[in-house]
Amino acid sequence: MSGIVRGTVGFNDLKLPGAWTRKIGKDLYEVFIGPQHPGSGHMRIIIRVDGDIIVEAEPDMGYVHRTMEKLSEVRTWIKSIPLFERMAIHDACNVTLPYVRAVEKLLGIEAPERAKYLRVLLCEINRIAAFLYGFGIFGVFLGHSTMYMWPFGDREVWVELAEWLTGARLTHTYPVFGGVRRDVPAGFTDALRKAIRYMRRRLEDYRKIFVDNPVIRSRLEGVGYIPRNLAIELGITGPNLRASGVKYDVRMNHPYEVYDQLDFEIPVFQEGDAYARVLQRVEEIKQSLRILEQVADWLDKHERSPILHDRFWKTAPPLYKKVFQEQGRAKLMAVYAILKVPKGKAYERGETARGEISYYVESDGKNTPYRVRIHSASARNALVYKYILPGHRVMDLPAIYGSIDYFPPEADR
Amino acid sequence: MTGWVEAIIKIIEWPPLWQLVVLGLIAPLAVVIYILWFERKTAARVQRRIGPYHVSPRIAGGLQLLADLIRYSFQEVIIPKTVDKAAFISAPLIALILSILPVVAIPFTDVPKWFPLPMDYSLILALALVTLSPLFIIVAGWASNNKFAIIGGMREAYLIVSYEIIAILSFLAATAMTGTYNLVDIVHAQTGWKWFIVLNPLAFFTAFVGVLLSTSGFPFEIAESEHEVVAGAFTEYSGLMYGINMGAAYLKRMIYSLLLTVVFLGGWYPLKPGEGFIWGYLAPSIVIFIKATILMMIFSFFRAVYGRYRLDQAIEIAWKILFPLTVIAFGLGLLEAYYGII
Repeated sequence: MSGIVRGTVGFNDLKLPGAWTRKIGKDLYEVFIGPQHPGSGHMRIIIRVDGDIIVEAEPDMGYVHRTMEKLSEVRTWIKSIPLFERMAIHDACNVTLPYVRAVEKLLGIEAPERAKYLRVLLCEINRIAAFLYGFGIFGVFLGHSTMYMWPFGDREVWVELAEWLTGARLTHTYPVFGGVRRDVPAGFTDALRKAIRYMRRRLEDYRKIFVDNPVIRSRLEGVGYIPRNLAIELGITGPNLRASGVKYDVRMNHPYEVYDQLDFEIPVFQEGDAYARVLQRVEEIKQSLRILEQVADWLDKHERSPILHDRFWKTAPPLYKKVFQEQGRAKLMAVYAILKVPKGKAYERGETARGEISYYVESDGKNTPYRVRIHSASARNALVYKYILPGHRVMDLPAIYGSIDYFPPEADR
Repeated sequence: MTGWVEAIIKIIEWPPLWQLVVLGLIAPLAVVIYILWFERKTAARVQRRIGPYHVSPRIAGGLQLLADLIRYSFQEVIIPKTVDKAAFISAPLIALILSILPVVAIPFTDVPKWFPLPMDYSLILALALVTLSPLFIIVAGWASNNKFAIIGGMREAYLIVSYEIIAILSFLAATAMTGTYNLVDIVHAQTGWKWFIVLNPLAFFTAFVGVLLSTSGFPFEIAESEHEVVAGAFTEYSGLMYGINMGAAYLKRMIYSLLLTVVFLGGWYPLKPGEGFIWGYLAPSIVIFIKATILMMIFSFFRAVYGRYRLDQAIEIAWKILFPLTVIAFGLGLLEAYYGII
């Protein structure tokens, strides 16, 4: 090194292993946003700016890659559920549900109806919590500290509900093959209804301080416009896709669990800009609240019944069944630990808060998966930065980054 | 023994010392510390949090800022190898000095005995001194040799061109109304509750927004916005140097608030400076500081309500909306002077 410091004259002449240089356009200024930058997550966006205008942008992902797909090949089937949850811990049920369903498909079983409702219940609780998390990050990106604190505080309501239901605040491991782990505790639906009422009131507050705030509106309107055809071409998904005018939601187009029996709408916005994505998420929270209301009604009407498929439920000792009838808790049976899944391939998809997630699961008949391929929503959405950032100003970067609601651990897997 | 006490009192009463050290440095610093606490506490209140608490829970975390200050003082000041050392170290210090220096031109009384400088051209002198400090923020950004710092410095430069003329022109509306640059005369013209905020609210509004723009208050916190340029021109600074940089912006806002108080909020009125040090100098200063502190509290409340504008939007607002308004305010001042309303 001989005392030459990075960034000074002479550094680029050093031919160090790994030190490489490349030419960038004349008069362009290359700025590395991330991975240790307060405005980026665990990712890097390399932008080249001409004055204040971004000319090129390269999303550089993979800083939190945890080899999940490979790790799953050495773990038993049930142990992969807590592993995959780590992709998006605040959206744990949504993220792992397609995997559970794919394995159920291979096993040739289906969860009982009550378990399906319970899965939907936790899915929607997770979805709301994940949206609120995204709102918080988005708020602080725009310098709006109140919008950072409020959703994070209100997210607590849903996290607590999830904890009451499953025993864990974030990584619930709630859906298991053939059902779910626990039944609703007594008094849960009343608390749920209270939370729904509270959330509706708070959404009105958010509208007043954030969504209708003139400063926020002027920052977001017309910024980060994703045209409809570009959205389809890049294969972006979730609220970002729907805010660009494409009515596609896995819950509606390929219904799973009991979504086809519930009454809800898929909101669609045509504008495709960052502001439309904010409104889209607000509307989606409202729809999730609607779903939760219906689930609460269903749960009130129906008596407690087994929440695991008969194949597993019949192996439960009488004590387990007694505890379940009294407290709603079902301990996992020993058969899960030695579960062998028949040979075959299965593909399942689900709608997470950030979009469509799909699992391809292949089994060779052993007690570990042969291959699990995950295609997560954030990985698909991250591409969009490359195409929509150029032409915007540097100050638009946090607005666009936040509006996409990109979550690096989910993308990197 | 009494001779010593009298001598010390005499030294404290000596206008340059009182004005520069007590009113220029110690009192604004105390107000700034209070305002930082107030800002955090109100933001916490709006955001349904508690805010600073663990240091001195009995007085609602009032000592938190002092604790922070102590921590800053003992933190290592890291000076990177790649910076231009002389400029890197001197720029924030000069900016700090220049941001409190305008206090020499602000009168805290109308008794000529207590003026640190002749007050004939004090308004123009104060404005001239106020506009100097941002130059050194640009220098600090440039000397840091860091991409984020340079971008932050450039943003500051962009903002200077847009707010300076607004701030100066809206303060000069008072001159248009009274025909004098003498701040004491401007205060005298506001006797009998004829405060210029009532007579020319437009000028006060533009001056208010101009101050927000110049001290990077929300919604114009652009030059050091964390999520784009880390800490703007101060990215490479650490420890006490960073504290100085941050404190300089608040001190500058305090000086601007004092100026706003004197020009628009009737200065030391409703109090009338009387005889002696207590009633002639100390009490009017306290009145002015209280008014300025209320202004500071309004400035800092915006943090809880607004996000930040984009740079080009801020400049657009400054040139397309505020600048015409400022000219109108100036014209309004001239009209009022012509028809003898003042």
